[in-house]
Amino acid sequence: MLENYFPILVFLSIGTAIGVVLIGLGLVLGRLLGHARPDSEKQSPYECGFEAFEDARMKFDVRYYLVAILFIIFDLEIAFLFPWAVVLDEIGMAGFWAMMIFLGVLVVGFIYEWRKGALEWE
Amino acid sequence: MAQISNMMLLLPEIILLGFACLILVVDTFSTDPDHRITYVLSQLALVITISLVFYLHTGATALAFGDVFISDPMSSALKAMIALYGLVLFLYSFEYLTKQGWVKGEYFVLGLFAILGTMVLVSAYSMITVYLGLELLSLSLYAMVAMNRDSASASEAAMKYFVLGALASGMLLYGISILYGITGTFQLNELNQQILQHSEQTGLLVFAMVFIIVGIAFKLGAVPFHMWVPDVYQGAPTAVTMFVGSIPKIAAFAMAMRLLVNGLEPLMTNWQTILIILAVLSMGIGNITAIAQSNIKRLLAYSTIAHIGFLLLGIIAGSQQGYAASMFYVITYALMSMGAFGVVILLSRKDFESDLLEDLKGLSDRNPWFAFIMLILMFSLAGVPPFVGFWAKWFVLKELVASGFIWVAAAAVFFAIIGAFYYLRIIKLMYFDKADETPALEATAQMQVVLSLNGIALLIIGLSPGLLMALCLSSLL
Amino acid sequence: MVELLVFYFFGAVLVISASMVVTIRNPVFAALFLVLCFFSSAAIWLILQAEFLAIALVLVYVGAVMVLFLFVVMMLDINIARLREGFVKFLPVGIIVALLMLVAMSLVITSGYFNREEPAIQVSQVAGYSNTTQLGKALFTEYLYPFEIAGVILLVAIIAAISLTMRKPRSNKTQQPSLQVRASKKERLRIIKMKAEPKQDAGGQSS
Repeated sequence: MLENYFPILVFLSIGTAIGVVLIGLGLVLGRLLGHARPDSEKQSPYECGFEAFEDARMKFDVRYYLVAILFIIFDLEIAFLFPWAVVLDEIGMAGFWAMMIFLGVLVVGFIYEWRKGALEWE
Repeated sequence: MAQISNMMLLLPEIILLGFACLILVVDTFSTDPDHRITYVLSQLALVITISLVFYLHTGATALAFGDVFISDPMSSALKAMIALYGLVLFLYSFEYLTKQGWVKGEYFVLGLFAILGTMVLVSAYSMITVYLGLELLSLSLYAMVAMNRDSASASEAAMKYFVLGALASGMLLYGISILYGITGTFQLNELNQQILQHSEQTGLLVFAMVFIIVGIAFKLGAVPFHMWVPDVYQGAPTAVTMFVGSIPKIAAFAMAMRLLVNGLEPLMTNWQTILIILAVLSMGIGNITAIAQSNIKRLLAYSTIAHIGFLLLGIIAGSQQGYAASMFYVITYALMSMGAFGVVILLSRKDFESDLLEDLKGLSDRNPWFAFIMLILMFSLAGVPPFVGFWAKWFVLKELVASGFIWVAAAAVFFAIIGAFYYLRIIKLMYFDKADETPALEATAQMQVVLSLNGIALLIIGLSPGLLMALCLSSLL
Repeated sequence: MVELLVFYFFGAVLVISASMVVTIRNPVFAALFLVLCFFSSAAIWLILQAEFLAIALVLVYVGAVMVLFLFVVMMLDINIARLREGFVKFLPVGIIVALLMLVAMSLVITSGYFNREEPAIQVSQVAGYSNTTQLGKALFTEYLYPFEIAGVILLVAIIAAISLTMRKPRSNKTQQPSLQVRASKKERLRIIKMKAEPKQDAGGQSS
């Protein structure tokens, strides 16, 4: 079975190798060929726009997280559907209805979040 | 293939789930700011659940769903108790929430799910089911603690509860996974058999067991896993504190029974030693720290810790009678704790929690009847004869001595006497101190009736404890 | 042979990235290392032939949970310096707990029990063995009841998330063109019958 994943492994290793070589090469060549003599003026942000006047991290609307959390919950639900679909012809009606009940419970959750307006974004 | 036999045994759970889903949807359609329909439907769901439990009760033991679900006398008795307490809890909660002006439909739905989780836990016969029941219960409770979003202390309490609870769940899962690694089964009965066969692996089994005990001790709030208890009790809205202090304790008792007694019985001598340490520490630290408290909710939190120590003693005794004594203890304790928080709710007003000991000053002048109810509750909690708390302690100690743990029993008596001090101080405050201000009680008639019934029920059980004890014994033998 | 090499590689990455998660100062990097951590454990699961779990780990944890995590960490104004306070103070306690855990873990690993038989490899050598199928069969027959409870737990998670974060829709001041267009004369214009008054000045105002 693992042989099937061999191409992915090759792909991964080549990808990693290219990344490491390119970045490594850049760093090494830069170190060798360039010359770095930093001083305080060179490193000050005067050339690169305004000085930062605020932290980039700021309080965010909690509804962003709400959407993300709801996404995760339904993502998990989908994860259960894969093994179910694979064995659907072997588990009989009981297995089928088990998933229907599972989905039904989550549909209740879906109705709830719809009615509550959790999916709305003004 | 699936053994989907005995579906009928699950009827109470199925109906409760169905109602919870229905109520959730109905609530989103109601425009009533008091969510009265939600409340009434929730109560109806619990009434139906109780009657179904009674209807299905046969006194026989039966398994269902591939042996991960068990229905035995203990589960039936505990389920009926849980649903009954749920009724009372919802009533107190509705009163509290209306008073504080933030009734939410989700509160009742989550409460129903917490009760469902407890019922799953009570009839769990597989470590997986135990874990899932526990998670269902805990997750609902975390959300309920944080539900009053305007309260910073509630959010803090929920945070602590959640982080520590997740850690405890992790510990429990770790223990479960090691047990599965050794025995290759989740099912508690098979686990019991397998442990007997793998006696050469006792070291590893005990190692796994320690993690499981950590999980149970956390849920019970036994020292040294009690850190969350005072903060959560104090920070949470009083109605939720009452919830946390009653039904989950029954759940934790059931969890200990299922895991330790049904599953890990061959390791009894090992868990007895650990539980003795937990119990003695809980009684000691709980009772001594409670003396220094000035907040009733915090005081009751430490009192819970101490009571949990006592509750563990019955399990330590390791006999059927001992388990029955523990069951008696947890059932009566939950009732006492609900009553005590009920009085706190009774005295509370809008934006005023009334959770300081001073707020009880001169209650006998303000309202002699409820001062009397509080007197019953405090005497019961302290274990003064002939109140019910005394019998609970008495049964546990009797079995403990019968099993030969005389020194542990002696320590328990010693700490119980220390503990009596702070309960009696509350009574002194109520009867011998003058109130600073005497605002009228704001309580609906049904609240007053139920709180009175709560106290009277304790009085009656205290006067004839044999009946409840017989029930506990019959559900364990 | 290749399998073993791959295992050691991902095992090393896993251990290194996991220790980076706890030691690195910047929480964003910590979250990214956690992603790497999940990814390498997924690779190890794949070596164990637990295909479905490996993919679920990447899909759910890397794809969803960690993205949310990164979101929270990057957007929240966390004061990194304050998070680090008390690090030295609690270090001894942490080391003691870690040592205890280390002893306990080595007790488990050296007991040799888990290595006695290797059922995973035996089972997987059967032709046409599929981890997903096995998982599906177990989940929808033997563990049907736990599976349904898991569904209920997800429902509780939905309710908890919404009831804890949803606020009443704010009264924002944006225009709503659909409403504007739909406005009818009846809503905007009120005609009041009044008695005629004597003319006061030129132009004549009516209300």
